[in-house]
Amino acid sequence: MIATVAKLIAFRLLAAVPILLAVSALLFCALRLLPVDPAAMSLPPTATIAEIDAQRHAMGLDRPLPEQYLIWLDAALHGNFGRSIALHSQAGSLVAATLPVTIELALAAMVIAGILGFGGGLLLFHLRGTVLETVADLGSILLLSIPEFLWGLILLFVFGVVLDLLPFTGQISPNLPLPDITGFLLIDSLLAGRPDVFFSALEHLILPAFALGLAFSPTIMRVLRSSLFDVYHEDYIQQARLRGVSERRILLRHALKNAVLPTLTLAGVQFGILFSGTLLIEVIYSYPGMGNLMVDAVRNADLPLIQAIGLTYCIVVLLINTLVDSLYVVLNPKLRTQ
Amino acid sequence: MSKLQRRTFLQAAAAAALGAGSPIVSALAANDSATIGWPNDVPSWDPNQRFTPDAQPLFKAVFDQPLDQDPQLKLIPHLIKNWTLAPDAMSMAVELRDDVTFHNGDKMTTDDFRYTFFERIKSGVKLDTANSWKKVEDIVVESPTKATMKFNSPAPTAPQWMAFLGSFVVPKKYIEGQGLDNFLKKPIGTGPYKLAEYELNSRIVLERYDNYWGPKPKIARVTIEIIKDPSARVAAIQSGQVDCTVNIPVREVDRLGKESGFAAEINPITRVILLQVRADLAFADENVRLAAHHAIDKAALSKAFYGGAAVPLSVLATPGTPGYLPDFSFKYDPSLAKDLLAKSKFGPANPVKIGFATTNGQFPSDYDIARAIVQMWKKVGIEADLQVIEYAKYFELNRAAKLPEATLYSWDNATGDPEIFSGYQLNPKMPFSPWKDQDIGNRVLALFGVADYNKRIAGYRDLERYAVQNGATMPLLQSVVTVVRKRNLKYTKYGNGWLLPQTLQWS
Repeated sequence: MIATVAKLIAFRLLAAVPILLAVSALLFCALRLLPVDPAAMSLPPTATIAEIDAQRHAMGLDRPLPEQYLIWLDAALHGNFGRSIALHSQAGSLVAATLPVTIELALAAMVIAGILGFGGGLLLFHLRGTVLETVADLGSILLLSIPEFLWGLILLFVFGVVLDLLPFTGQISPNLPLPDITGFLLIDSLLAGRPDVFFSALEHLILPAFALGLAFSPTIMRVLRSSLFDVYHEDYIQQARLRGVSERRILLRHALKNAVLPTLTLAGVQFGILFSGTLLIEVIYSYPGMGNLMVDAVRNADLPLIQAIGLTYCIVVLLINTLVDSLYVVLNPKLRTQ
Repeated sequence: MSKLQRRTFLQAAAAAALGAGSPIVSALAANDSATIGWPNDVPSWDPNQRFTPDAQPLFKAVFDQPLDQDPQLKLIPHLIKNWTLAPDAMSMAVELRDDVTFHNGDKMTTDDFRYTFFERIKSGVKLDTANSWKKVEDIVVESPTKATMKFNSPAPTAPQWMAFLGSFVVPKKYIEGQGLDNFLKKPIGTGPYKLAEYELNSRIVLERYDNYWGPKPKIARVTIEIIKDPSARVAAIQSGQVDCTVNIPVREVDRLGKESGFAAEINPITRVILLQVRADLAFADENVRLAAHHAIDKAALSKAFYGGAAVPLSVLATPGTPGYLPDFSFKYDPSLAKDLLAKSKFGPANPVKIGFATTNGQFPSDYDIARAIVQMWKKVGIEADLQVIEYAKYFELNRAAKLPEATLYSWDNATGDPEIFSGYQLNPKMPFSPWKDQDIGNRVLALFGVADYNKRIAGYRDLERYAVQNGATMPLLQSVVTVVRKRNLKYTKYGNGWLLPQTLQWS
């Protein structure tokens, strides 16, 4: 099994190279087609036309587009994504500083979505054929129809303002220091031996993670339920019943294992959407992640930064999909023999 | 933060369970700290790099300016003890304090002053201060505390610029030794606070600098929470997560002001909301320009979008500043607007068509104000095609002469000096306005060389009246800043809207 998974990962990583090249080229061209002039924007407003032309030349923007792309690609392969126009720092460093924050948030949201999605999916399936099925179904549709930013505002208002139970600004309480070891605050706080910081970080993570997770969980719920329906029509379920296996054991030992596979695939695909959902959630909760940075970059037409963040999103999604496919192989014996 | 909140209690319980120090203790000792909900981060920690009015109070906490302004905006000594502008404004002698140190302990001297206002600019670093100090030909250092700035043309507003955007003294030895990137990561200044922690787009932690040469801040630790969303700022102050916040919607100020424990204010500031206009296209016709101005009910705009707190303006200056003309009024008169348009053969049945640009979200209610103006214009016979532009693209569009006939804009001038109001807005050689007419342009350029203060101010007062009467600009409202704070947190109110962390104190 390990060999199969390793082969799959190697194949996926190889396949990722042309995908990343294509995405980077597409992103590069699309951004260059925007009616903004990075040379002018990188200079003070009082810059003369001659100064802007000189800057354009220095930035290589007066060269043909393919040549510009190759220059950018060469620099990017050496870890240089250019300098942010608005923040005057290396785009790569800005992404590196904010990526762990977003990953931590997205993973926490994924855990919440997984718990709620699987729990809800099993509940929906359990209620099939009862009078409560319609109510539960409507509930899941309602959850599905509320986007993450609306969850963000609702949770902020209810748990932050009305009940005053949880903080909703930033990553940590104002009077606590911010340990910086790996960039993952929960881990760093433990490494620094600061449970108070850990608790504060966890407390600050709850609302944004729930906002993202709640928006994502109904999809898992509904797919799991529908997969369970499909699996329950399989012969082996009937045979298990004939053998006198309890319904609970049929569900947990036989049906769920098979029903979880399509759910997992969907979760992998949806993770990309969840990851992009961090954009608005991070702004609402003043969370200092890559989504927040991207919103600023777009607002300032900060092309080098948009490009670096866009490419990072692409890499993260590809890695997650590779991970999910590997898990799929681990969980599905049929695929191990192919 | 005297109130023990439910959340604080829960934190304490959980922290106690984890064996950590009790946050109750820190909560009760918190009168030596304060948290401000702030709408924007700094563009970078190089204070000379970009002119960002909203970041000015943050820079002023960490860095010092050569001169300062008192709450009434009068120029006062700061790092510079004495200054003498030559009668021809071609040089300015300055004497610096000799008791100022940077946060690393290094003494601040005229070498740092020369580096900030001359050497850095000439070295080719792309700084916004390169424009404000482009007239500096040299700074002759006479001693560690005495120097003379030499200008290549008259610089009558040099003292004002010493207290304006970007003019912060930075440490020569530290920047040259550590490199700019390291300075940006760990900036030091001579200001009342040291930058203790910085997390991009999230928070700025300031700690009192005990060796500060001036009055020591009353609060030892100030945390600036960057909260970009106005609703989240409202929620943060309401829930007690911040002690003070700024720039929240006017309607929320009214609501929060009625709640006990909060003080809420709408303060008019030295920022003007105006319509910038072109001198060509459909606005080549003066009748059309004047009609467009007469058709705008500024009092209605103020009432609708700023709760009536934004003062309607007739000139490009705010009340209390030297260029303001209290006796001059440009009246709202839709009938006169129609008459003027009729002279040019336009009217509601045959409207003149113009383009109109606005930002959306750059300043409070900008897009809504623009939409209201479109409706006001429609009634008199001006059909405006409203287009939203990104603020980041404004200068590029202006440089390429692609802005339409009218552009809704907000212009900040913390100094209150008329040169930085109408002088900059009507100077055809500057990129801050699409007005490129030479008649008014020549009047402005002449004023840039007037060294005598009284003559200069009188000249600008004449210019402001003339410009408005000719339809070269359409001032609308004096902008406001909203502040909501815990009632027992005091601050010093400045006429230009600064909320300086060093002026905060608990009562």
